[in-house]
Amino acid sequence: MLDLRSLAVGYRNTRGTVLSGIDLAAEPGDFICILGRNGSGKSTLMRTIAGLQTSLDGVVLLDGEGVASMRPATRARRIAVVLTERQFNPGLRVEDVIALARQPFTSWRGGLTDDDRAAIADAVAVTGVEPFLRRFFTDVSDGERQRVMIARAVAQTPRLLVLDEITAFLDLPSRMEIMALLRSQAKQKGQVVLLSSHDLDLSLQLADSVWLLDGDGGFSVGTPEALSESGSIGRAFDTEAIRFSPSQGRFEITRSVP
Amino acid sequence: MAARVSTSGAALLASLGALSLLTLTYGQIALPLADTVGALTGTQSSDLARQIVLEIRLPRVAAAIIAGAALGMAGVLMQALFRNPVADAWSLGLLAGGQLGVALTVTAAAFAGPAAVSFLTFFEGPSITLAAAAGVAIAALAMLALGRRVGAITLLVIGLMLGFTSQGLTSVLLHFAARAGGRVYGGWRDASFAGVAPSALAWLSLPILIGACVAVATAKPLSSLLLGETYARSLGVKVTSLRYAVLAATVLLVAPVVAFCGPVSFVGLIAPHFARALAGTARILPLLPLAALGGALLALAGDAIVHAPWEQHFLHLNAILAIVGAPVVILILIFSPAVRQWR
Repeated sequence: MLDLRSLAVGYRNTRGTVLSGIDLAAEPGDFICILGRNGSGKSTLMRTIAGLQTSLDGVVLLDGEGVASMRPATRARRIAVVLTERQFNPGLRVEDVIALARQPFTSWRGGLTDDDRAAIADAVAVTGVEPFLRRFFTDVSDGERQRVMIARAVAQTPRLLVLDEITAFLDLPSRMEIMALLRSQAKQKGQVVLLSSHDLDLSLQLADSVWLLDGDGGFSVGTPEALSESGSIGRAFDTEAIRFSPSQGRFEITRSVP
Repeated sequence: MAARVSTSGAALLASLGALSLLTLTYGQIALPLADTVGALTGTQSSDLARQIVLEIRLPRVAAAIIAGAALGMAGVLMQALFRNPVADAWSLGLLAGGQLGVALTVTAAAFAGPAAVSFLTFFEGPSITLAAAAGVAIAALAMLALGRRVGAITLLVIGLMLGFTSQGLTSVLLHFAARAGGRVYGGWRDASFAGVAPSALAWLSLPILIGACVAVATAKPLSSLLLGETYARSLGVKVTSLRYAVLAATVLLVAPVVAFCGPVSFVGLIAPHFARALAGTARILPLLPLAALGGALLALAGDAIVHAPWEQHFLHLNAILAIVGAPVVILILIFSPAVRQWR
């Protein structure tokens, strides 16, 4: 369903090419985690896949159609994104934020039909944001904010859901809950969910497939087990001080800490 | 929410009607309500009453309502476009920019010779509006470019300072223009609705009407922009063309107000906040009519106080608007969560 063909991503300025020669595919229901250290190109890759940035070479195909050449309105019906970027929204309530997800489907006035309301109600139910629907978006906590933005993305009823480091500010239970929620969305709705994360533990437990960026423009792809055992994760993340242990599935400190 | 919007809209409309009627009855000569209504409807009324109501007071009241509505809608557009709760045509220097545009045109005509001046005088309505539009557009583009680099409050301060600069330059330019014999336009360095001739009402309202249509057309994508540029793009909004459309609507709404009524302060800044409070939402479409009605009501109330039967004419419109408006802005700066993030 999602195909990346000899894709190169990056910038047409001094930063240049970040990743190139990417050939990957994902099927409906896939829950995919993109892992890599800061600056390894996760966000650039995700923005390019979501059509928010043009690729330097190659194409991103969703259901056989090029994401870059899609009309913006069509793309908005098929791809939803959640980002870390925080904007302030004077006077915007949580329910308004979620309802905005339906804009690609509404008439010029933006009025909601029964279908739109059903999609919103479903998103509210699965993400559990009901208690703070009437609160101002600027007044909710970090965790609630991320939940609202996920509810918004779910309400957009996309084929592809792209989420960039959304769990960064959350505590462990919330992170687990949100990752599990996204995984079940992928399975139930047959969507492709693409999530970048620093959360190695959880990602390795829940992902169907991991796209691992090593930070030097290289990447490897596979199931979490395969990548742990082949040592790819170690190569991407190990430093002088820590080392990934495939047998335990977590990092160990190599030097004794005083 | 829809019910809230229509109820508050109806209440605002009723208040606006009542206040308009009241404003038409008083002035230098007090007229009974029956005579005023009679003059308006064309039934039983004295010639004097008809002249006072239709030729002196009605144009002023109409100008206040139209200009107030335009500023209110422009305020909604600008606060959403700049994502800044204290943005409006006055606070970001667009009105002063428009004034400067007019002053430059008048001065250029004065130095070009009597032919240019009489041309300008003959086509006063469109030429002054166009000159104001150029000034407003340049100021708006400058603020938009700055708005991406600095925070909301910094932008406000810069806008006010640029406004002062433009007003100073306008004053100097008009002085030289007058000495060169180019007295096309006078007495409008201060805001007032009284100077709008009945014939000018068409030039005032036509661009505003078009601007209002553009504003309504951009309302849906502009609501998405409240989530930030990237999210708006992910919702299918073409952000760059949206920016220009909103800017065009703002210029169409604001330029005629500058040209005919001068720099009317605070109305455009406050009206959107009232509209949001009444509507219970920040979505743009329901805010537009409420901010238009609220802005019209505020402008007309200010005018009604200025033209109340005082012993002598001593009040300025902007003085009244400042007394009401400045404390509201102070409250916004202290309590608005959106502003808090920028401190």
